[in-house]
Formats: sequence, C-alpha cells, structure tokens
Amino acid sequence: MSQQLPAILFLLPLFAAISMPVICLKHRHWCYPISMAILAAMTLVSILNLHNVIHYGEVRYVFSGWAAPFGIEWVADGLASIILVLLSSLGLLGVVFTGPTSPKALGGRIVHYYTLILLLISALTGIVFARDLFNLFVFLEVAAIASYALVGVAGGRALFAAFRYLILGTLGASLYLLGVSFLYAVTGTLNMADLADKLPLLLSSKAVVVGLVFMFIGLGIKMAVVPFHVWMPDAYANAPDSISPILASLVTKVALLAWVRIIYWVLNVTIVINDIPILLLVAVLGALAAVIGASLALAQRDIKMMFAYGGISHIGIILIGIGQGNQTGFVGGVFYLLNDAVMQAALFFLAGVAFCHYGIRTIDDIGRVGKQAPWVIGSLIVMALGMIGLPPTGGFFGKWYIILGALEANNYVSVAAVLLSTLLTLAYFVKVFEAIFHQTSIQSDVQFGEIPLSFKLTLGVTSAAIIILGLFSSPIVQLLLNHTLPPGL
Amino acid sequence: MVILPHDSIIVQTLGRFLIPVVQMFGLYVLFFGQYGPGGGFVGGVILGTGMILSVLIFGHDASRSQIAKKVLHADGVGMLIFAGVGGLCMIGGGEFLNYANLEIPGLETASRRSLGIVLTQIGVAVDVAVTAISIVFSLSAEEIIEDSING
Repeated sequence: MSQQLPAILFLLPLFAAISMPVICLKHRHWCYPISMAILAAMTLVSILNLHNVIHYGEVRYVFSGWAAPFGIEWVADGLASIILVLLSSLGLLGVVFTGPTSPKALGGRIVHYYTLILLLISALTGIVFARDLFNLFVFLEVAAIASYALVGVAGGRALFAAFRYLILGTLGASLYLLGVSFLYAVTGTLNMADLADKLPLLLSSKAVVVGLVFMFIGLGIKMAVVPFHVWMPDAYANAPDSISPILASLVTKVALLAWVRIIYWVLNVTIVINDIPILLLVAVLGALAAVIGASLALAQRDIKMMFAYGGISHIGIILIGIGQGNQTGFVGGVFYLLNDAVMQAALFFLAGVAFCHYGIRTIDDIGRVGKQAPWVIGSLIVMALGMIGLPPTGGFFGKWYIILGALEANNYVSVAAVLLSTLLTLAYFVKVFEAIFHQTSIQSDVQFGEIPLSFKLTLGVTSAAIIILGLFSSPIVQLLLNHTLPPGL
Repeated sequence: MVILPHDSIIVQTLGRFLIPVVQMFGLYVLFFGQYGPGGGFVGGVILGTGMILSVLIFGHDASRSQIAKKVLHADGVGMLIFAGVGGLCMIGGGEFLNYANLEIPGLETASRRSLGIVLTQIGVAVDVAVTAISIVFSLSAEEIIEDSING
C-alpha cells in the first residue's frame, strides 16, 4: 500500500478534476466542497507519505511495471515528499480561499474553473515526483496550460496578461523540449539516474552543452528568474484574486524544484563546462534576481504587483542558497523555498481579501481603511516580518542558513546580494506601513462588515505558518539535512 | 452563429455514404492498433472527423448531428476510462497501468494485458474525438458551448 502512495497522490486530484464536469453537471455548488475534500484527503496522504519516506526510505515507483531506464520512473524521496506536503496544504488553503472570491461572471464555467485548479495541482505533483525528463516536460505543459487558462479566466486585462504568459511559457516549454531532445540524441536515455551515469563522459559534446543551456533557459522562463521574469508580475497581478495565491506560491517554486533536480540529480555538483562551474552561474543569476526583483518591487504602487516582484527577488535568494554547492546553502535554499511558498500564498491571500472585501488595490488605499481592517493589517505585519527576515519568522532562518552557506563557500557577492535585497524588501514594506500608520488623509467613512470565515482562516493559518516555520526551524532544518540532500553533496 | 446544412446535393449524398464508412474505419484503426499500425489517437481522430463531417454537411441542428452535441459533455470520460483502468490495476496490486494485475476476475494474464491495452486505447480515442469536436464547435459557434455548459 505504501508503495502506491505517489501514484495515489497524483490520481486523487486528477480523478476529481476529470470527473468534476460529470458530477457537477446539475449541481454547480458541489464543486467547492468536493475540491476541498479531495485536497484535504491529498494533504493527509502526503503527510502519510512523508512519514513513510522518513521512516522506511524513498519509494521508487515504475509505471506499468516496466523497469527504470525504459519505463517511466517516479521517486518519492525526502525532498519530493516535503514539497508535496507543502503543495497539497497550500492547494487546500487556496481552494478554501477560492470559494467566496471566485469571479462571479463565470456562471456555469465555475465547474471548469475548479477542474483546472485540481488539474494544476495534479500536474505539479507529477513535476515533483517525475524522474524522467520527458515526463517532466509533459507535466510542465499540463500545469502551464491550466495556469494560462486560470490567469485569463476573468477576461479584460487579464486576457492580455494571460496571452503574454502563454507566448513566453510556450517558448520556455519549447526550449526545454529542444534541450531534452538534444540530450536524448546524444545519450539515448531520458531517465534522470541513467543520464547522471552517462553525461559526465559526454560533457565535451557541443550537443550536450547546448541542450543543457536550452533546458535551463526554458525552465528559467517557467520560474521567472530575472532576465525572463517579464510575464510574471502582470500575469499574477491580473489573475483573479482567488487564483493568484496558488499560482504565485506553487507554480514558479515547482519549476525551480525541477531545475534543482536537474542540476543536482542529473548533473554533478562539481560539474564544470568550458571552465565555468554551473553552480557559480546559478548563484550569480540568483544574486541578480534578488536585487533586481526587490528594486522593481520598490517602484510599485499596486500591492499585487509589488508582491509579485517580491516573489521574483525571493526566487533569486533561493537560487543563491542552491548555488553555493555546500550542505548549509542547499538546506537553507530548500528551507527558504518552503517559507517563500507560504509567504507568497499569504501575501496574495492578503491582496485578495484587501480587494474583495475592502476594495484596496494600491498602497495609498490601505491607509484609508487601515483601522477598519484588523485582520489585514495584523497579518500584513507578520508577513512583512517574514519577507524582510526578522527573527521569529521562518524567513530569518532561511536567509541565515543561506548566508552561512555563502560564507562557507567564500562567496561574498552572494552574501552582499542577500543583504541588499533584504534592505530593499525592508524599504518597500516601510512604504506600505508609512501609508498605513502615517496617513494624514481622511479615513474612509464607508463601514466594512466583518470579513468571512474563509478569509480569516486563510490569513490566520498562513500567518501562523510563517511564525511556526521560524519557531520550529531547527527540527525542520535537521529533517532537511537528513533526508533531502542530493547525492554527492 | 450556428452551422447551417450544406446546400449541395452531391455533398449531402456523398456524406450519407462516407460518414458510416469513416466511422467504421475509425473503429477498425482503433482496434487494429493491437496488432499493427493504428491505435487510440489515430482512431479517435478519425471517429471525431466523422462526426465533424456530419455537423458540417447536415448542419448543427440535424438529427444526425445530435450525437456530436451529446458527446461534448464527455470531456473527461475518456480520461476517466484511462485512469479507471490504471486504478483497477492498482487495486489488483500492481503499479498504475500494469495490466498484468488488471482486477477483472476470470481472466488469464495474457488476456488481461490485451484487454487492458484495448480499454486504455478506447479511453484515448474518446478523449481525442471529443477534443476534435469541441475545437470545431468552439471555432464555429461560441453559443453552442455556452448553452451546453449552462444547461
């Protein structure tokens, strides 16, 4: 039974997604509770799976019973299982939040809306588990197509953002596929473990180098690393409020995970191509993303745009951690990834509540309703602490381990980039709080009622999670050290 | 805008002949996929084409086109068949889609494998056919899709 858990985790949301149009044909309002129930079940199963993996070791799952290099292999190792707990629980919260905020204009399409959300989550599960480059591509595409549709579902300006996302995302996917086909042409295999055996001897081949470059650019577009980030703020800011938390917290992070898989599990850590160590490139890209993303966030007035650019800078910080090539940096990067997913979800929940309930879109509006929105302001303070990285929150410990890792690798540029991006993050949150607490203009006269339970729940749980990840950082980091390290690190 | 019947008698008459042949050929290709070239995807495309042809020739409201309109609701049915076969294999104790463990009583391993692959191919065919039809409908008349969704 425990051997089947990876497939069950994938099939739960997939089954629900494809049977949703049939079940909910007559009863539209069933979609919401069914999706919640399925994702709650998935969260429980993913926790069970994590427990199994920690106690009995990783699970290798071969589809159709064909053994690894020929068949399609999934591996539920520590890293995948931890990310999956995160993915299913944030997916659950995202769906809880979706109920009262989903676009009213959808009408009968609401069924397809939930279908797409569940399909997105099952595809992300596939990306997390896949150990086959082509299988990874298939799930990347399923996830991407579901997110294009979800971004554009509200119409209007969102359609434009979705179209741009579609063009760039498809470009990314095509580059990735081209890269995979180059590697396949040279090695004759798509399985990651098999590639890891064959590639080191073939690094002088131009096809391998070009293939790897294509794959990294393709995945780079998917995860919005800095030179390729242009689609991301627009898409996430214009997506319906109910969907941007799921997109912002999960899609880019899972693409980043795929990148980490290829760097550490397919290529070797110490790999050097044409005198350039790959990991150094990752760290430099990360440093650029961390600083540029945070500076762009500073320039925004729209809160969703600001949070989206903040997300870009945090992708950079994770990459800095991953790129140090030592255990501390890697664990710091993964821990920061967990934190960042929670923080991005929290920030976009907050932006959603602020808009749906209070009509707030820009920083200036926040000041006007500040005193009437205790839940929004309270959770905003916790999130700001987490984003800046102050001690009781997980953000602090993530950055702490990343900086320790960078110091261990004598990589002072990375340290400087993390600190600079922290300062810039502080700066743009100061801008927000300045608007709230030093607002001289008149408070709004409109009376806003109590916010709905689902809003309180999502804001409360994510804010609590930011603090809890900080308070329990040492057991979590210990767990990551014991179970998520790639081979040879 | 709704698709109107084609006004040429030649097209109408030929359509009456051709559509059943196309459908039969689609089924043949689908099941022949076990032993030679063919299979779910191609079979599904041909089946879908047959139905698209009937919509284009006899119009959207003709009784011959009813099946194509009904089929639109079956978006997920093909995938349900596929995933259901996989699930039956898991219930039988094997991996997803390991047909040797297909949990259908009274069958030997060899016929389980054969039946499993046929069933998944049927699932694929249904999905491909439905997708082809819904692409044509959504390109030609948005209201059809809208109406069928809103009941």
